[in-house]
Amino acid sequence: MSNALPPTGTKDPLIAAPSAPRARRSRRGTSLFAHGEPMIWFTGGSLVLALLMIIGLLGWVLAQGMGTFWPERVPQLELLGGERLMGELGDVERYTPEASMLDALSPELRARADLELAALDGQLERVLLRSGNFDISNTHYRWVDRYAIAHASRELDDSEAGRQWELDPARFRMEASASDTDWSLVVERLSWGRLYAKPVAFQVAGQALSDDPAEAWEQFEAHHSEARERWQQRRDLETHDIGDVNHALEEARLAARAAQMDLDAALAASAGAPRLTKLRAANEAAQASLLDTEELGEQRFAELQSQIRELDEQNARQTLLVQTADGTLVDLQLADVVRAYPANQLGLFGRLGVYASRWREFLFDDPREANSEGGVFPAIFGTVVMTLIMSLLVVPLGVLAALYLREYAKQGPIVSAVRIAVNNLAGVPSIVFGVFGLGFFCYIVGVSIDELFYSAKLPSPTFGTGGLLWASFTLALLTLPVVIVATEEALSAVPNSMREGSYACGATKWQTIQRIVLPRAAPGIMTGMVLAIARGAGEVAPLMLVGAVKLAPDLPIDVNNWSGSLGPIWTGAAHLERSFMHLGFHIYDLGFQSQNSEAAKPMVYTTTLLLIGIVVTLNLLAVGVRSRLRRRFAGTHV
Amino acid sequence: MTTSSETLRSRAGATSPQTKPSSAEGPSGPPAREAPQSVEPQNSRAPSGGLFASVDAKQPFKTVVHEASVHTDSVLEINDFNLWYGESRALWDISMSCARGKVTALIGPSGCGKSTLLRSVNRMNDLIDTVKVGGEMQLNGDAIYGSGVDVIDLRKRIGMVFQKPNPFPMSIFENVVYSLRIDGERDRTVLEEVCEASLRGAGLWEEAKDRLNDSALAMSGGQQQRLCIARAIAAEPEVLLLDEPCSALDPIATGRIEELIDELKGSYSVLIVTHNMQQASRTSDDTAFMYLGRLVEFGPTSEIFVQPRLKETEDYVTGRFG
Ligand SMILES: Nc1ncnc2c1ncn2[C@@H]1O[C@H](COP(=O)(O)OP(=O)(O)O)[C@@H](O)[C@H]1O
Ligand SMILES: [Mg+2]
Repeated sequence: MSNALPPTGTKDPLIAAPSAPRARRSRRGTSLFAHGEPMIWFTGGSLVLALLMIIGLLGWVLAQGMGTFWPERVPQLELLGGERLMGELGDVERYTPEASMLDALSPELRARADLELAALDGQLERVLLRSGNFDISNTHYRWVDRYAIAHASRELDDSEAGRQWELDPARFRMEASASDTDWSLVVERLSWGRLYAKPVAFQVAGQALSDDPAEAWEQFEAHHSEARERWQQRRDLETHDIGDVNHALEEARLAARAAQMDLDAALAASAGAPRLTKLRAANEAAQASLLDTEELGEQRFAELQSQIRELDEQNARQTLLVQTADGTLVDLQLADVVRAYPANQLGLFGRLGVYASRWREFLFDDPREANSEGGVFPAIFGTVVMTLIMSLLVVPLGVLAALYLREYAKQGPIVSAVRIAVNNLAGVPSIVFGVFGLGFFCYIVGVSIDELFYSAKLPSPTFGTGGLLWASFTLALLTLPVVIVATEEALSAVPNSMREGSYACGATKWQTIQRIVLPRAAPGIMTGMVLAIARGAGEVAPLMLVGAVKLAPDLPIDVNNWSGSLGPIWTGAAHLERSFMHLGFHIYDLGFQSQNSEAAKPMVYTTTLLLIGIVVTLNLLAVGVRSRLRRRFAGTHV
Repeated sequence: MTTSSETLRSRAGATSPQTKPSSAEGPSGPPAREAPQSVEPQNSRAPSGGLFASVDAKQPFKTVVHEASVHTDSVLEINDFNLWYGESRALWDISMSCARGKVTALIGPSGCGKSTLLRSVNRMNDLIDTVKVGGEMQLNGDAIYGSGVDVIDLRKRIGMVFQKPNPFPMSIFENVVYSLRIDGERDRTVLEEVCEASLRGAGLWEEAKDRLNDSALAMSGGQQQRLCIARAIAAEPEVLLLDEPCSALDPIATGRIEELIDELKGSYSVLIVTHNMQQASRTSDDTAFMYLGRLVEFGPTSEIFVQPRLKETEDYVTGRFG
């Protein structure tokens, strides 16, 4: 309607209309591809493939991870050579034996092996037995050839363990041992890993109180918790009380050293006499207070030591005498036993109890035995705290950067170049960020902080080495592109009409951003945060360089140790300079650095499961916040 | 289309002595190369003769202004205003004035520059980098363009309602008091008073009073538009700009907005763009007819719709063209 129609009859080449109606052109039939029928299958198939991979991976981790803590039955095996074994059964595998090994067999064994070889096409079957008793046998696991088993006992109702023996029952004789007489114990110890043995007697100061297995077990159960309490008490004395003494000593030492350094510096600079006198007095006071503290510390130390010795003596009195399958007697201190249970006596609820107690230990306790036993609480704590600090750092920074790029910068080739560079930053290998973090944060920023504020502690570094803070900074840098990209998307999705409405009301640019654009973009920004958390919490490689360690004795947030006088920067209970444990690094360490890799394998799955769980939980929190924001701003007419 | 450009010029000159002879063709603002009318493909088809032909041919051209629309008490004064989007010129020597407390309607075919003119009043066009302007406008005697004008302060004196309702993603209450919020008003009683008064002024109070804290985005389109009007009048603007406020609404919602504009008349000076002739004739006191960036005829609505001085205006308002 933008112009009057030209009067009819004008000679206009542009609208030279044909006088006769043209014949309608016939159209082609629709091809199969145009219908898109195959595309439904392609798209659906791709989705199914992706889902299968994800569900497969998660399912595998879940299945393996959930099973780790389930208490299995403990069968006893008697081999043809006369050796007796006890333990939990694991995988069964087939292998091709070497001829030399077969030739070395006794005639009886050879005959059995040949039978099995014939049945299995020249292969033999063997089963992995978790035999424990590392202190006696020097191994945690051993492969047992099936043909070498002369006799095996198991619970008949235990289909899980029995399944593996159903292949050819004719060649084995499996006997059910009456449940009420089989008191075989699984003992989890503070050191040396698991012990599989039968209880013999409960002893107090070397005197057997009972020598019936059932009675011995009963008495063990009656006294175990008090022994563990004593152990806990002893540990508290060792860590907290002695730690406090050491802490006070360290503080006094640092104060003395700082005073001495001040004095030396003043002397070197030949300062004025009044100042020197003052510094000398301060130095003397500090040295005197150090001497006092040392004296006091000595006393307190002796006191604590005697308390510990007393507890040790009490603990040494109560023991459980057990006998392993090969007849060795072992005298177990009750305090050294973390958990013990008669595996073949437990009903479903008993086993569930053991299962739950193991999960509890896993989630809330410190690791033992080179991390392959015990809990992963420090790693959970480290992961969560690091991820939270990372989010606190990366979200504001990323949002501000995206705001500048999208709202303030004049769109043009430079901004496009910056945008592309930021996007590509997401593709830089994470280890590169680790190297950067180490070089920049630890060695440049950290060392400067040490020189400025923590010089009394040098040469031992405070911030000048890897730690939680620098790890968080490094991962914040790593996840920055994710947040920037997501925020930019969210900002560009805010309709311009809203911005115009705000300007028309007389709002400034910043007021418009603050009151209209940011709230409206908040859900999208939260999406960026979710992605950053998922990326950051699962990252391992850079952390190895900037502060994640195999074992960190102290948590990075430590209410027993207020930073107070250790440095001029008061950080409360937060010790963000400390190195920390991280679940991802823990998985790597367990899986590839562990001495006892068979025992560590199930823990790898469980820890992976836990890490995934934590990432999902953090993400669900963020998603929850996001949907609340969405609900606040969403309406039916948007 | 019988009037020749010569007769037109003489008639226009006779009827509006106040209007300065326009310098028409030479770009009087920033140097803008005249793109050879690439925007208007129809000029090749237009027959010779007639006002539009002279416009298309870029011949000098003078607005026809009715004597009754030359106001002494005007709230907004536009003098020889020109605007370019980059190289292409969108407004040509616009001169008109809006009476205080009256409704002035802008009509014209789509793309003739009504929105551009409206957005020039509160300098929303500043947001577009390529825009250049020439000429001047005055709001109650204060220059709108010119060095030293604080755009933010200017916009605070002008209210604007857009074609599509654009409520903010916040509660109804916060939407209405937005302009007070950005001025830092915190007194709850003041805010509540203004909110109620504005919602009543926009005829929305009865519907909204029980859901002031609900999201404004959950309202219907018509309610949203009235909310935007409430938001605009909450700042007690000296001029209210309405850019086709009903074009995205159904007829019932449109009717309500029209009633509302009638009610606003007197207490507010309104400049409204509309596509709807009935709306213009019903609601406005003065009407300006624009075509291709030029102001063609400006006069009291009764005259424009009943006895326009130009044949082209008559054609347009009677729907014979447009
Ligand atoms: N942002 C812009 N950039 C370039 N040209 C524009 C822009 N906005 C509008 N125009 C042009 O300016 C002319 C007038 O547009 P507009 O004021 O929106 O017309 P109306 O509101 O009367 O329909 C049109 O030719 C249109 O193409
Ligand atoms: Mg428009």
